[in-house]
Amino acid sequence: MEDTHINSGNDNSRIAAKELMTLSMGPQHPATHGVLRLVLDLDGETVVKCTPYVGYLHRGVEKLAEHRNYMQILPLTDRLDYISSMSNNLGYCIAVEKLFGIEVPERTEYIRTIVAEMSRIANHLLWLATHALDVGAMTVFLYCFREREAILDLFERLCGARLTVTYPRIGGLKNDVDSQWLEDVYAFTGEFPMRVAQYETLINKNRIWLQRTRGIGVISAQEAINWGMSGPVLRGSGVPYDVRKVTRYGVYDKVKWEVCTGKNGDVYDRYRVRMDEFLQSNSIIRQCIEQIPQGPIMADAPKYTLPAKDKVLTDMEHLIHHFVLITKGPQTAPEGEMYVATEVPKGELGFFFVSDGTGKPYRMRVRSPSFVHVSALPRLCEGELVADIIANIGSIDIVLGECDR
Amino acid sequence: MTATELIKKVFFIEVLQGLALTFKHMVSHSVTRQYPTEKREPVPGARGLHALVRDSETGKEKCVGCGLCAAMCPSQCIHIYTSEGDDHKKVVDRYEIEVLRCVFCALCVEACPFGALALTDFFEYSGYTREEFYYKKERLLENWDKYMAGDKGREYFEKFWRPKAIDFRTPVTATSEERKSV
Repeated sequence: MEDTHINSGNDNSRIAAKELMTLSMGPQHPATHGVLRLVLDLDGETVVKCTPYVGYLHRGVEKLAEHRNYMQILPLTDRLDYISSMSNNLGYCIAVEKLFGIEVPERTEYIRTIVAEMSRIANHLLWLATHALDVGAMTVFLYCFREREAILDLFERLCGARLTVTYPRIGGLKNDVDSQWLEDVYAFTGEFPMRVAQYETLINKNRIWLQRTRGIGVISAQEAINWGMSGPVLRGSGVPYDVRKVTRYGVYDKVKWEVCTGKNGDVYDRYRVRMDEFLQSNSIIRQCIEQIPQGPIMADAPKYTLPAKDKVLTDMEHLIHHFVLITKGPQTAPEGEMYVATEVPKGELGFFFVSDGTGKPYRMRVRSPSFVHVSALPRLCEGELVADIIANIGSIDIVLGECDR
Repeated sequence: MTATELIKKVFFIEVLQGLALTFKHMVSHSVTRQYPTEKREPVPGARGLHALVRDSETGKEKCVGCGLCAAMCPSQCIHIYTSEGDDHKKVVDRYEIEVLRCVFCALCVEACPFGALALTDFFEYSGYTREEFYYKKERLLENWDKYMAGDKGREYFEKFWRPKAIDFRTPVTATSEERKSV
């Protein structure tokens, strides 16, 4: 099988002329962040050709979604990007709300922004932990998990689950936050910049870190756009594109924050972008907690949201809505197509729906940033050394649950 | 390269700074929890093992077998079998949950119109066979007695059985104002 693989390459003559070695990396390689398999053609230590094989974690989420009503799909989106499931839930809910034309209350927007940014911090912490571990810094791994644990504990207090949260609902949230929780998040954000400074002390100027990351996996701004990259990878190349700024969702237009960009588009700049995003997210959370208004958390959309529990057994119409919504899904869903993108920690996560007016989507397509970034991995790796592949995989921050879906 | 940069490079300043940080952590308080011996208090509302609510008046399950939880379950792990009772009432013969298939999203709790199903905060269940995780009605009722009895169950439904009427935006449309004036 490996022989046919070599011969099927584009540059057959080059491969035939040299004595190349084929190395199969993964799917059980710890540094490939999941079940990514790379088949590498090596000339000595230089990568001549890199072919990613994906699909080991394929669960058919898009097909499953066609047989579930809009509320039941929500737990499936937890399992796309399980590192930051809150962002995925939110992306899904925001997309469905756009499709249905629901406007959520202001307090919900604030809470959603807070949890989305907490999820971004948690995701970047895990990214930094594993990326640093791959490149050789063990201590950062342990320190990052300490803070990630704090965020997951806050999530558990909020909604009862640490990883697969299922917290947002279509048209609102599962439950309201209490003031004690907000205070604890505020206390965490007060302490967190000091923690970021600690990580930077460990690796920011470390000579091994610099040698492993500077000038590795360089991709220019134009090329990054052409590959369809998004998120910190695109911003690392100097393109100030952020879905949070470009489209309007959440309360990102009511708080002060900047889009962090790099310059050179190498692994180090992508690392710097994410480190800067820590502080930006931190400041967004602080501002949101300072500004958060009182009010309801569910939209007034009785055709799409579950009715109040204290009315279900006293009011006939509420009971009928309750039964229909759960057994059949929303019956008044508008027909048509809708693509809505949100900025998840890994890039632009888009949900595309084709709705035929029944309670289930006719088709749901997920535009996942990880899949796009994996497709650009050969471009980053080819011509570089085997050891740099690890740094490159780390720097594009992929999760295979989202890539394979 | 300036002189300070050279000195920093020769004397491994950035490495020493990192080492100083790690040494500081060595003498500071440990954050690791030694799990099996040292257990954390479960958070209220944590989504763990299932329980069927036992009605304190009848001593039986509160469930009426409407099947909404089974309809809502995204992993289809709830099975309900009902039959007609003596006075034409619906009787729940079997209520079974395949815990191994459950994803603990708690949508069943939200779907139940009676508050007859709960997720307890107990999470340390393990076993050697698949049958042990096929929870039948009696075991689910036992779970309620074990983990949610007393005020705990009542508080659970007060706090986590949502949405409630106060969660909703009061309608500001003309019809609601008309309703108020009438």
